[in-house]
Amino acid sequence: MIEVLNGGPQTTVQDLGRPGYLNTGMPPSGAFDSFSLRVGNLLVGNNPGGRYLVGRDPGDAGLEILLFGCRLRVTADHVLAVTGGDLSATLNGEPLPLWRAVLVGAGDTIAFGAPRHGVRAYLAIAGGVEVPKFLGSRATNVRAAVGGIDGRALRTGDRIELGSPRRPLTTLADRTWPTAARPIQDAPWTVRVVLGPQDVLFTPESVQTFLSVDWKLSPISDRMGCRYIGPKLEFRPRPDYLIEQAGSDPSNIVDDGTPLGAIQVPSGLEPIVMGADVPSFGGYAKVATVISSDIGVVGQGKPGDIVRFRAVNVAEAEEIALAIEATLTEATIISEK
Amino acid sequence: MFYDRPVYRPLGDLFVDVEFGDELHLALNFMALGLDLSLRERPIAGVTETVPSNRALMVAYDSAIVRQAALIDALREREAEATKLRRLPSRVVTIPIWYDDPWSDECAQAHGVPNNLALLAEINRTSVAEVIAAHSRTEWWVTAVGFQPGCFQALPLDPAFAISAPKYARPRQTTPERVLCLAGKITSFYPVRSPGGYQLLGRTPIDLYDPHQRNEVFRESPVLPMAGERHRYIPIDERAYVAIREQVERGDYRYQIEAGSYSLDDYLERSRPMTMEATP
Repeated sequence: MIEVLNGGPQTTVQDLGRPGYLNTGMPPSGAFDSFSLRVGNLLVGNNPGGRYLVGRDPGDAGLEILLFGCRLRVTADHVLAVTGGDLSATLNGEPLPLWRAVLVGAGDTIAFGAPRHGVRAYLAIAGGVEVPKFLGSRATNVRAAVGGIDGRALRTGDRIELGSPRRPLTTLADRTWPTAARPIQDAPWTVRVVLGPQDVLFTPESVQTFLSVDWKLSPISDRMGCRYIGPKLEFRPRPDYLIEQAGSDPSNIVDDGTPLGAIQVPSGLEPIVMGADVPSFGGYAKVATVISSDIGVVGQGKPGDIVRFRAVNVAEAEEIALAIEATLTEATIISEK
Repeated sequence: MFYDRPVYRPLGDLFVDVEFGDELHLALNFMALGLDLSLRERPIAGVTETVPSNRALMVAYDSAIVRQAALIDALREREAEATKLRRLPSRVVTIPIWYDDPWSDECAQAHGVPNNLALLAEINRTSVAEVIAAHSRTEWWVTAVGFQPGCFQALPLDPAFAISAPKYARPRQTTPERVLCLAGKITSFYPVRSPGGYQLLGRTPIDLYDPHQRNEVFRESPVLPMAGERHRYIPIDERAYVAIREQVERGDYRYQIEAGSYSLDDYLERSRPMTMEATP
């Protein structure tokens, strides 16, 4: 069992979410930085699940920890791994190595402090977090109040049940994800995108601006979407029927599918990358879509961070994703015993 | 505008949009739903889910099984058959509505705007009673479900429906759950308490989204509305609202759902502009 001593600003139970219900308006949810959760699960001998959004195996659930303040205590011997953002994690006050399976004992306390790199850490624990599944997944969606523990973030006093480890704990301890296989970037972050679906509605100059300037992540960012502050983008003139049907704002379109990663630009101001808890639909022109491999980079941004968007084509995006997928195996793990 | 052929637009490396046009028209929604139906009946390997919208179909795919370029080729082969479907299966869901309910009125007041139905009556130069009569007289076609679980958009099937609603100039911070609303000629719905900018029409006592899946209609999915179904909104009064709400909370409300189908040609025939009487 894990006891929550302090939930911090937002610690949620996440697996790889509940894709397959987009046509009902149910967001997929799941780990914003799914790569990090999957690596954590591999390190502790759990099921890492399939590919985010298009796989149908949500894998074992862990915790997504946002920024600083979360403190947890384990009640028995366990093996856990913290991956993703570097939030100055400690074990009983001593620095806790990241991307590494660590043996812990009853009464040990894990705490998260100042974010040094990224904003979301993932805690995977052998056996996984056991909460009831909703539509096949344990992922929490706070806005829709489903999944996780009563559809909410963890708070002081919560006690989290754990499943049975799949392997003896001693064989898991000290397994490490090599540095070369970690998707670590230094600021400014680069987020790769595929232009479209509605880049043609923007002026060509504005599309160039979008791809060339430094964008600053706005504090108004969460699992629904991440907003970026920068220059205003302009639109081409629209026919009258669209002004009437779609709305008077030049960014309005007749609503269409707007999934995770799509970049809406309402009124040409502050592009918004849709996050893991977004629904499937929207009425604003989308200049580009973040490639699946870089959704996690978006999820690690800290308000004030500088981000640059770089265009790749669909085939390149597919190659990047499949290459990363190929590394997500037991074979990548090294033992540092 | 209707495109001569569907336009394929990438949404990154997980989704591709099959876009049939850029405007709001039932015929475009029929194409999206026709392709959706075709993909459900004869799946293309690698397609993991589909999301119909007013004028496009968003297709999610697993690039480990099919690359987007090959998927587009496979979808192109379906274009003709999918866009030729003139009749689609379409159930009719009857939804009781307490039009001009006190919660919507209170919500408008709290936001500092007039009663929304009174505003619609004024803008459309008619009475509140006629706005309600017109809204409940036509059947509505659900073009898409999204935004949040159970939220839908619906178009009037009666070409005579003439009420039009502006969106709020300044969106509300919140709207009570289960409220029906209108913007332009689109009816939509707030399944749960949420911000919004559509004009409030009334409140239904029945759940269209139930994450607890209590009633049998939610056994397969916690969301009732689906694209391609029709809605009939039946005006009810406070007494009926309270009685039905009690049944819903007990879990024994019987949802009124009839199987059926709908013909696009019937709609297009009815929507043709009336021939004007010859004037001397």
